[in-house]
Amino acid sequence: MTHRNIKIGATAAVLTLAFVGLMWSTLRGGTEYFKHVDEVMVDPQAWHGKQLQLHGYVVPGSILKKPNTLEYKFKVQNNPARAPEAGNVVEASYTGVVPDTFKGEAEVVLKGRLTPDGFHTDPNGVMAKCPSKYEAAGKSAASGT
Amino acid sequence: MAALGTFLLLASFVVCSYAAVASVIGARRGSRSLVESGTGAFHLVAALMTCASAVMINAFLTDDFTIKYVAHYSDRVQPLFYKITSYWGGLDGSVMFWVFLLSIFGSAAVYVNRERHRELIPYIVATISAVQMFFLYLMVVHKNPFTTFVTAAPAEGEGLNPLLQNYWMAIHPPSLYTGFVGMTIPFAFGIAALITGHLDDSWLRAVRRWTMVSWLFLSFGLTLGMIWAYEELGWGGYWVWDPVENAGLLPWFTATAFLHSVMVQERRSMLRVWNVTLVIVTFFLTIFGTFMTRSGVVQSVHAFGEDRQLAWLFTIFMIVILVFSFGLVIHRLPLLKARNELDSWLSREAAFLVNNWILLLSAFLVLFGTMFPTLSEALTGERLTVAGPFFNKWLVPIGLILLALTGVGPLLAWRRATVRNLADQLLLPALGGALALGAVLALRIPIWSAGLCFGLCGFVTATVAQEFWRGARVRRRNTGTDYFTALVGLVGRNKRRYGGYIVHVGIVLIFFGFAGNARKLDNQVTLKPGADVKIGRYTVRNDGIKVSDDGQKQMTTAYLSVFVDGQQIDGMYPARWAYRHHEQEPTTEVAIRRTAAEDLYLVLAGFDLGDQSAILELHVNPLVNWIWFGFGVMALGTGIALLPERSFAFALAKLPAEAAATTSIALVLALTFFGGATTVRAQRGMGGSEDTRSSFYARTPFEKQMQHEIVCTCGACGHQNLAECRKDACSTSHQMRGELAALIDQGKSHDEIIQAFMNKYGSQEMLGAPLDSGFNRLAWLVPYAAGAAGAVMIGFAAMRWSKRPETAAADPAPARDPALEDRLDDELRDLD
Repeated sequence: MTHRNIKIGATAAVLTLAFVGLMWSTLRGGTEYFKHVDEVMVDPQAWHGKQLQLHGYVVPGSILKKPNTLEYKFKVQNNPARAPEAGNVVEASYTGVVPDTFKGEAEVVLKGRLTPDGFHTDPNGVMAKCPSKYEAAGKSAASGT
Repeated sequence: MAALGTFLLLASFVVCSYAAVASVIGARRGSRSLVESGTGAFHLVAALMTCASAVMINAFLTDDFTIKYVAHYSDRVQPLFYKITSYWGGLDGSVMFWVFLLSIFGSAAVYVNRERHRELIPYIVATISAVQMFFLYLMVVHKNPFTTFVTAAPAEGEGLNPLLQNYWMAIHPPSLYTGFVGMTIPFAFGIAALITGHLDDSWLRAVRRWTMVSWLFLSFGLTLGMIWAYEELGWGGYWVWDPVENAGLLPWFTATAFLHSVMVQERRSMLRVWNVTLVIVTFFLTIFGTFMTRSGVVQSVHAFGEDRQLAWLFTIFMIVILVFSFGLVIHRLPLLKARNELDSWLSREAAFLVNNWILLLSAFLVLFGTMFPTLSEALTGERLTVAGPFFNKWLVPIGLILLALTGVGPLLAWRRATVRNLADQLLLPALGGALALGAVLALRIPIWSAGLCFGLCGFVTATVAQEFWRGARVRRRNTGTDYFTALVGLVGRNKRRYGGYIVHVGIVLIFFGFAGNARKLDNQVTLKPGADVKIGRYTVRNDGIKVSDDGQKQMTTAYLSVFVDGQQIDGMYPARWAYRHHEQEPTTEVAIRRTAAEDLYLVLAGFDLGDQSAILELHVNPLVNWIWFGFGVMALGTGIALLPERSFAFALAKLPAEAAATTSIALVLALTFFGGATTVRAQRGMGGSEDTRSSFYARTPFEKQMQHEIVCTCGACGHQNLAECRKDACSTSHQMRGELAALIDQGKSHDEIIQAFMNKYGSQEMLGAPLDSGFNRLAWLVPYAAGAAGAVMIGFAAMRWSKRPETAAADPAPARDPALEDRLDDELRDLD
């Protein structure tokens, strides 16, 4: 009986260790910080080069697109566009196709890295809030495009 | 009507609590009449909820915008179909729909088992009633879908979100809910068995079929969600590990585990604690998934609202479930002792056990990944997220192991498999796998992970084929018929086993489709007219952009020609539609060219009318359609497994589940062959487009009072009053607040201001008291009542007929089908 218990115990220990080790390694590579603009812009240097998910709102009228390309430049602020204060603002750049819901005032989450000249968004890294069944979508506003 | 609805909900709550209390007391005192009155009350809840649902649908059909919920999710121009589906379009209604489904399911389950499991019934009634009471309480105190406007009813509703006005989206939630709700039935049986101590395996047999039906609906719901994302959202994929998707996947894993481990208990009386636990965990995960997506605990790009009170209510309920259920399990541990031990690790039982562990591990990983941001924030204060890579790294290998087990499991014998026997059995499947791998190598597909997946697909397919072939051979020898008849007879004799194998084939096809991702091609280009771009074997040429208008929307369509080897094979027309009043929110209409081998998926991401150039997103998605087709096969297999033990095809009418299975197959087939990029849409309410930042917070108590008396007319906020309508980027409320401030600054009085607003907006839209719509609207109920009565009558007739097949009235093709005839003979011979 004890022999059997030792066997089971050892197997369980090895499996647990392997599991924890694998978990650790995948988490290290896979995690991204989820930050609001204000949290990052307090000390931008500290965040340079780190993989981020940046939450904010597109500054109305700030979306610029180079004609005949898919290059975008826009600004993202911490607070909703109609809040009394805008909060910190960060410049962002992106190349690629943007979702339909991406426009001025849209609530967005950007995946990418912060650099001294603004936030570089990864390919397909723009997530604009989807209209959901459970809350009416934010109404449109002036769009930069 | 709203008052009637609220009354019905309140009445349901009261009756429900009576049902719970009466049946428990009746059971404890041994009072049969008390138990029966409790059960009667339980059926009454189903009736009341049906009435409440009728009132709600009636409100939608009659455009009763005095009810906030109706005004929020419907408008006058909405097509009839979407008016009805708006019932479950929002949070409040979806909770109500949940209770409605649960009451119907519960009533059916109690009715079906009233004789066989008499001793369990009172506690089943009590458990389901308790769950219903929670959701009813939620509605009555917190989220009443029948809430009316206190100040004013709008003249027009806001309409269902255009993105949700899609056929798949309309049937996806009910299917998913049915799956979720159905899991309550096994839970109730489990709890009843635990309380009464009737822990033999009979309760398992009673719930197996219910679990299978729920599982089928859950799978169907998940598939529909994927199809919707693929066709409507226009990013070329179908799954992104979003919390909302994961919420549906969690109970699916545990239910799948249960459907497998239940066989071990039936055959070998093992894993008894485990099975009860799985039932509890599955139910818990359905509640947890609801909690996760409705309470705002998990951040998602889906805009689910944050609702602290709801979160607390759910948390308390979940704690009660866990403490109560596992308390009972621990209390009954002595009765749950396994009667057998695992003989060998090389046995069917062991394979099932490993399968269960892996499924549970998957559920755990998905849960962990989904909750990781919340967990990390609670532990470290930093909100860290894990995304697709984390899930893929873990679940791809896990999925492959599961797939391999699907192939190995059926080859292992119960109790103990000998190596020699196994080697003998493995020969053919291994050959199948090797063949597939050879093809993979020849096609230069990377071995990890797609290549391995294809290899395993071959392996599992060969296993299933071998099982069918061997069974049919034995049966042919015993009955002396031809192979085909023997095959059909085989499936008929052991529907669960061979139905299960067909489900495995479906799973293989789904994995086959997933593996196609490895060969996915993406590109984004700007195409001038006449220019072309190559993707895969296709060349896509821009023939120009045209703008047309159908009165409801402006459609900008790219005319693209598709060439293969210089030959034009198709024209594709991806478009962007801008609806009236929504010019700034164009919707993407993807164009998909479907073939069995791959989909060509084109998105018009932008355009320049000046020089007719189109910005295109191109995807080639290999094998995608096999996922949908695989689901169809899975549904077919589940349908076969669900067939009653003794009766055969003509008994189809007996069980709604089979009808559902058949319908879903038809749906999936229809989708596979006819699904296009077309969608039906309707207009929404008015929108605003003013760009302003400040928001006129009330300066004086009078202004505050006025802001509360007047509701916003923008159509986006659910007609909140002006003081509250701030969270959306709503320019209308901003403007109205501004007007109000100006009027107050002019020194106008309360009545003058109201009058000014009424003059300006031409109606009492923002003021009027809810109109009494009168009982003449009950007339609307007549067609439904007639339809329901018809359905009931047909159901009864079908049940009658199915009981007496010799009358041949219910046999769809009486005596025409020799195969069926043979099969019947076969069956009857076997019954002797």
